[in-house]
Amino acid sequence: MEKGEDAELQSSNHERDANVLEFMDSTDSYLVLMNSLSSSLRQGWLELASARHSMGASRISSALFDLKSHSAATTLQLNHQIAGPEAEKLHFSLCKWASSESPKSCSEEAKFEEEDKLLQRTSNSPKVLDQDGSSNSVQEEAPEATESPRTVEDQARKERLKSLSMFGMLVSPKLRAAQSSFETALEILVEVANKRADLLDAYDQVREKMESATK
Amino acid sequence: MANRAPVRTNNSALIAMIADEDTITGFLLAGVGNVDLRRKTNYLIVDSKTTVKQIEDAFKEFTTREDIAIVLISQYVANMVRFLVDSYNKPIPAILEIPSKDHPYDPAHDSVLSRVKYLFSTESVASDRR
Repeated sequence: MEKGEDAELQSSNHERDANVLEFMDSTDSYLVLMNSLSSSLRQGWLELASARHSMGASRISSALFDLKSHSAATTLQLNHQIAGPEAEKLHFSLCKWASSESPKSCSEEAKFEEEDKLLQRTSNSPKVLDQDGSSNSVQEEAPEATESPRTVEDQARKERLKSLSMFGMLVSPKLRAAQSSFETALEILVEVANKRADLLDAYDQVREKMESATK
Repeated sequence: MANRAPVRTNNSALIAMIADEDTITGFLLAGVGNVDLRRKTNYLIVDSKTTVKQIEDAFKEFTTREDIAIVLISQYVANMVRFLVDSYNKPIPAILEIPSKDHPYDPAHDSVLSRVKYLFSTESVASDRR
């Protein structure tokens, strides 16, 4: 009997240790991510200040922000992952530079679609060669051709230019560098948000175990 | 393949910001700026003229809007409405406290870390182990 109780105690201790470790680990990752967020933001502010220095303070100011109705090119996607019998985990993912003309796809997802399409095209290639002469096949090919990997890059480039254009058409390269730094910061922020969710999850579990142990 | 569900479905959400001008400018360059038909923006620029009431209102608005998944708030601004930030405990939108140009990030003030802080107290863990 004693052996059984000991084993049970040991396994519950082991589980509790695992929870505490997970909690400490996510806290550490959260702090490390916040540190890299700080440095990437610092880089962005420095580049923005350099751009302001070369372009003039009046050319980079909040007075020039685009206040016409428009939707965000970079958005978030929320996924609910099932992590256990009752638990549901939140997961944020970034959807960068979706085109305002075709807001249904974003550049990151579009890349995967492209890979699929390339695969599909190679598997269909003999067929295409057979129908090469007919005008119908050319028309069928046309929409696929517009979705080449270049289009995805073009779309992102276009959207990047669009957000830069609120400060004029000819902008300082420093402003482009600032844009890229803030994009990196945004990627880190999404990781921070995910880590924050993990941290709070682990915290709840540890607290639950502690409360049940004290009862 | 071609029928793959697009990423930007109905659950695509925005990132809101309450921060200083440079931080907002940077994130707008990164493409997160959104202006709706009523010309409402998803950000609030905080400067010396911004009142605490305006910050509170923006915080309340952003945390109740269903199309927002993350609210970025400069930590020094969060300190001005600390009671609101600390009492907020919903998972969505997630509140992230970020550093600003003049105020570096201080983990001691972060609402998430202060919520979980008491577990780091050696006494609470040790007493549970006995």
